[in-house]
Amino acid sequence: MPFGGVRDFIARHVVGDVKVYKIDDFNMDPPEIIKTQEHIETFSMRPKIEIEVSKPFDFEKKIECVARRVKFLREPVSSRNIKIKYFVKQDVKTQKLSFNKKIKTYSQLKQIQALPQERQNVIKLQRKKPDVASNEIILACYGPIVEGAVEKIVLNKQNGTLLVWYKKGSRQFKARFVYLIRRLGMGSKPEWRWI
Amino acid sequence: MASQNNSIGYILIEGSETQIRGAALITDAKGFPLDFARTEPLRPDHLARILYGDSFGKYAKEKLILESLLDAIEIQPQLWICTDSDILEPLRADSKIKTVLLEESPHVPLEAAGHIETTAEPGVFFIQANANGAPFRAEFPNGIRPEEIQQAAACLAEAAQSMNILEPFTRLQKALNFLATGRS
Repeated sequence: MPFGGVRDFIARHVVGDVKVYKIDDFNMDPPEIIKTQEHIETFSMRPKIEIEVSKPFDFEKKIECVARRVKFLREPVSSRNIKIKYFVKQDVKTQKLSFNKKIKTYSQLKQIQALPQERQNVIKLQRKKPDVASNEIILACYGPIVEGAVEKIVLNKQNGTLLVWYKKGSRQFKARFVYLIRRLGMGSKPEWRWI
Repeated sequence: MASQNNSIGYILIEGSETQIRGAALITDAKGFPLDFARTEPLRPDHLARILYGDSFGKYAKEKLILESLLDAIEIQPQLWICTDSDILEPLRADSKIKTVLLEESPHVPLEAAGHIETTAEPGVFFIQANANGAPFRAEFPNGIRPEEIQQAAACLAEAAQSMNILEPFTRLQKALNFLATGRS
């Protein structure tokens, strides 16, 4: 280390005095300042949107956005979570909601008169069963049926019920039970018996 | 409205949230139809269901379907039978005729046809209409007099001698299905 360096080292650590040199010949041009102020045009990306609906609940979750008669979006957008301000035209027709009207009724008596009555097999419910011959067994019992008014009787073999059609205008009202009875033996067929 | 002795009226109103319809049938003592009326299906739109809420079904049954049916029926029955508790009171109030809600019950048979047995429920009785089988569970409107219950029981017992009391409801249901869809 040269002497000057030793002296500076000792002076920095012991005395705290550092020699500063002044440069006199440092001639530089000041930097050029350029003004960058320019007019920047801004366009709003949030145009005023008017939503026109003829009545509330007219749209189904999708709405068409129109700004200055130009469709803002090509596809309708979801109205979910969007605050919607109704712009109702003056010429919108209003319809009064009324459910106080009478419902239209139809008579159709002839059609229901053509339907048969249905009788269930009540043999299990009968407290007192009719007397039959010792070689006969009761298979089923249907009633009450007004025998004198019967026009047609059909046994529904699918569900075991008896379908009964009555004559229109019959004044008979005395009812009986009809039994399906089978005679035990070869070749005998079940027979209907009014009791 | 003409009155006919021993005739029984049946009212059936059925439906869902989207469609309600009803029918009324008057039969003679052997179950033969004397008068019949049915309503066109009432289909409330979405807005009506929002505005009326849960009360729409009851309102439609009472005010729209029932009143329309009672207006259309020309024969006044001796007794109205229904199966819907919603229309029991209005049916009584509108028709001014004895009304009962009738259901089958698992109760043991009573002593004889025409007998009445009280239950724990107010306005509800067991009525033995026919000699065989279980009694009916019969619910009457509020404020009914005891003699009216006796008259209704007697009417049911008399009718049960020549017809199956609840069978016309099956026909009403079939008729509604057939007339609405063309299929029974």
